[in-house]
Amino acid sequence: MSHEIFLTVNGQAERATVPASMTLLELLRESLHLTGTKEGCGIGECGACTVLLDGLPVTACLVLAVEADGCEVRTVEGEASDGRLSVLQQAFIDAGAAQCGFCTPGMIMSARALLERSPSPSDGEIVEAIAGNLCRCTGYESIVQAIRRAAESLNGRETRKSGPSLAVNGQAVKRPRRAKARDASRADRPRSTQGGGG
Amino acid sequence: MLGGFDYVCARSVDEACRLLAEPGDARVLSGGTDLLVEIRNGLRSPGLLVDVKRIDRLRRLETSGAELVIGAAVPLNVLVEHREVRRSFQALADAALSIGTYQLRNRATLAGNLCNASPAADSAPVLLTLDARLSVASPDGMRTIPISELFTGVKRTCLGPADVVTDVRIPTPSKLRRTAFLKQQRIRGHDLAVVNVAGSYAPGDRALRIAVGSCAPTPILLDPVDASGSHEAIAERVVELAEAATEPISDVRASAAYRRAVLPVLLRRLVERLLDGGGDS
Repeated sequence: MSHEIFLTVNGQAERATVPASMTLLELLRESLHLTGTKEGCGIGECGACTVLLDGLPVTACLVLAVEADGCEVRTVEGEASDGRLSVLQQAFIDAGAAQCGFCTPGMIMSARALLERSPSPSDGEIVEAIAGNLCRCTGYESIVQAIRRAAESLNGRETRKSGPSLAVNGQAVKRPRRAKARDASRADRPRSTQGGGG
Repeated sequence: MLGGFDYVCARSVDEACRLLAEPGDARVLSGGTDLLVEIRNGLRSPGLLVDVKRIDRLRRLETSGAELVIGAAVPLNVLVEHREVRRSFQALADAALSIGTYQLRNRATLAGNLCNASPAADSAPVLLTLDARLSVASPDGMRTIPISELFTGVKRTCLGPADVVTDVRIPTPSKLRRTAFLKQQRIRGHDLAVVNVAGSYAPGDRALRIAVGSCAPTPILLDPVDASGSHEAIAERVVELAEAATEPISDVRASAAYRRAVLPVLLRRLVERLLDGGGDS
């Protein structure tokens, strides 16, 4: 049976008639033609379909379109405005944080939600925020760097460098010395980017 | 498309119970992070999903009398960030935080984790040691089920098809109590437990409460463990009880032998934490 739903997508009011079993991901991609949001695993494991539902990141493959009735949805298409990339998008490009690009829209939406709830995140908070977004190319370092730089640009100041140590699912993880050394060398050569796959 | 089901967003508990009681294999939809995956994988094909997320009563999270009341539609991230949960039930916050990813925890609920009845449900061992109870509505009225009676087998509970869990209630401690949760998993990110254990202990009490998950068809609450004697002696009592009460199997995540080897290690760490109050894992 079909259901009529009303929702806001990237600030624009939308009305759609959807079957009960249509996912929010299918609505976005196939009805609204917003194909920036990707389907990876389809079972909420990879985070490629991450969108913001009423401000909170969710995997759109595990939300029914009809469940989003009356909600505000934001996707990667809402990032750029007037033909200009958002600070966050530009930071991903500058840091070389996108390789194949499949995870990038979901990464950016998880990062967007993080910066809204914690404008000056520690590296630990950044890692925790993107723990549900798999990337098979970058090894994550450049993505963490991109989010850190975006936060710095948005705040117009340095973020906490000495925040809590890395934490995954609440468990503290020691940051490898090698990574710290890399950060230090990057600070000297801000234009350098990290190469290689993960 | 996930299947041929229909959907109703219930506005009240009564409406939800009524819809669930009608013929046609209706299922409660809360966060959907287990149910929609099962439908996608062809493990379930319900005729109707009854969404209970917008029922006000199921969204409350509050201390009421001597209980913490966690509405069945409260997302895990809201639970994890709640002050009273962090203050009095640290192990519950730890267990909830170890379920899925941040995105999933914005949808998934505590009641859903319990009703899904996975032997590896991370919240179950903690709630067993805290004597949690479930408020359940049905067309015949309300009743309360102790969590120790909930699980009847792998992915099976004592709930009937028209039952709706409205909240999970945990008695608030009258004195300082230590709680702990430990989980062995294959990777440090989000992963199901190979073995998970939880305990609670109020210093001065005569017994420790310990529960074990992922080592039997259901999560298992051990008999209270005598808290007298050396830490080593207490830990050995816990290990002995747990080994007698569990029967680990081999599956995609670990062999039975590995589970049998890991279980005592986690239990000794758990007991140390409960008796020492802190320490690392």
